[in-house]
Amino acid sequence: MKRLLKDALARRGMSLLSCLPGLLVLLVVLGLFLKSKAILGVQPLSRLLFGTSWHPLRGEFGLFPFISGTVWVTVTALVLAVPVSILTAIYLSEFAPRFVREAARPVVDLLAGLPSVVFGVWGVILVVPFVGGVLAPLFGASSSGYSVLAGGIVLAIMIFPTIIHISLEVFAAIPLSLREASLALGATRWETARHVVLRKGSQGILAASVLGFSRAFGETMAVLMVAGNVPAVPRSLFDPGYPLPALIANNYGEMMSIPRYDSALMLAAFVLLAVVLFFNVLARRILARAERRSR
Amino acid sequence: MRRTFLILTLILAAAASGPAGPLPALSSRPGATGRLTLSGAWALYPMALKWAEEFQKLHPGVRIDVQAGGAGKGIADVLAGAVDIGMVSREVNPAETDKGAVAVPVAKDAVVPTLSRRNPFLADILRRGLRKVDFAAIWIAGSAPSWEKLLGREGRTSVRVYTRSDACGAAETWAAFLGGRQEDLGGVGVYGDPGLAEAVKRDPLGIGFNNVNFAYDAKTKRPVEGLEICPIDLDGNGRLDPGESVYDTRDDLIKAIAGNVYPSPPARELYFVLKGKPQSPLLLEFMTWVLGAGQKHVPEMGYLALGPERIARGLAAIGASDIKK
Repeated sequence: MKRLLKDALARRGMSLLSCLPGLLVLLVVLGLFLKSKAILGVQPLSRLLFGTSWHPLRGEFGLFPFISGTVWVTVTALVLAVPVSILTAIYLSEFAPRFVREAARPVVDLLAGLPSVVFGVWGVILVVPFVGGVLAPLFGASSSGYSVLAGGIVLAIMIFPTIIHISLEVFAAIPLSLREASLALGATRWETARHVVLRKGSQGILAASVLGFSRAFGETMAVLMVAGNVPAVPRSLFDPGYPLPALIANNYGEMMSIPRYDSALMLAAFVLLAVVLFFNVLARRILARAERRSR
Repeated sequence: MRRTFLILTLILAAAASGPAGPLPALSSRPGATGRLTLSGAWALYPMALKWAEEFQKLHPGVRIDVQAGGAGKGIADVLAGAVDIGMVSREVNPAETDKGAVAVPVAKDAVVPTLSRRNPFLADILRRGLRKVDFAAIWIAGSAPSWEKLLGREGRTSVRVYTRSDACGAAETWAAFLGGRQEDLGGVGVYGDPGLAEAVKRDPLGIGFNNVNFAYDAKTKRPVEGLEICPIDLDGNGRLDPGESVYDTRDDLIKAIAGNVYPSPPARELYFVLKGKPQSPLLLEFMTWVLGAGQKHVPEMGYLALGPERIARGLAAIGASDIKK
């Protein structure tokens, strides 16, 4: 009797606990929405999302420079990170000798675990002077180095591990027999990688990239330290950009006691969360479908 | 079975009490025992720690907790009743005063414009200084003039402008000097005082601003290695008169601020914000001590003590009649 009661209690308790994370996401969404209602009541959403003037103390709450800053930095990071990561993953899974693969994995995972402020400091010390002193003059631009490009480079390095890790898993899920069949037909290893492994794993790679995108979109500290934080829509890679997470981190602690400012920042957080959630769900669905197919 | 219930009860109890419960009731004997909590601006954090330490030496029964997290957090916390004192490094916004925030100035600080020591025009700038309108043209007008234009010559070496990315008292004060708000300041935003000093130091064509404590080295009292203070041509006559040259050491500058030679802003007051007049005797005791005997610790921490007139106004704001020795 006692044992059965324990069993029931354990089951109930655990099911209750596992509801918590899901409930938490809901609570976050609800909380952010309630907090941003104050600003939504003052100005129409379109003006908030597409306005380009950010002067909260004068009542101008245009979030567009920050949204575009986020997109610029994220897209730059993805353009830099995705090809490199996928080629690395192909090398590690198809070409590299076993001991290289075994050694590379922990290194990649270690990179994923580094605190982002470390990447930020490293970016300020190395990437910013490199962009300002070497790359910008090369392209005939004048830049302090605090730019969309610097943010993109630092971010690219931060999302390498995510994309590499997931791509490796995807490639590992592809049956060996497919590769053997291809090789038996006389295809080289590169041809096999290109026509069999990449094709079979394409959806998984897409999902890996989207997950990388989600991380990049929300990354705060490292980007904040190198991106320049000028609330204007960037016109080139060498212009400074101001992503949404940086906006929140820069201002929340100082301005949370001013209701409308606070509310505008909550709306920024809400927009960020909505985009990240959307892409995350998308990635999971693609990944799940890819797994079903490979079975 | 019983143990399971015990654990459950404990978890529930922990959840119910929460992290930031109401403050324990203070003893009625003034200043004898009790607990004070402070939260808010980084700019005041070292000063508040020093005051807390000294005050606890005088009153061993008192515990003072100080945490930093930004001026807005300080005000939000104090208005919500989570802490006794909010530390604030900017002017208090009317929206905050409406909710009952009472600001009491406790010390002074200043913001100074900074240059890289590798600036190619350094000798000229140090000889002439820059006028307030020049600074306004650099930060507020949107398109910074060239270095040569600022110095009255022909040429097109662009000024690289830096500002703080994080909302902060330093930027707000600097903007107030130029007739704007922080959100009006142009330039590349760099996070934090040390970050801004580093960016300016490294960029020969850069210009920025820093709190005195970050522009000057605390040990040597001279400007931080690699950084130069950009002198302000106060009377706008196109050269730096001996009376305007007050930047050699931190002590010189502090003297100039105290003597109102260096204008305010960019010198600024730092505040302790309370929710209404202090209700507990201990809080009143601490505030009067900070404004009285506590002021002697202000210069040693690199801030400026308040003048007697400001102290009197502060005491009046908290409803204390005389200075506690």
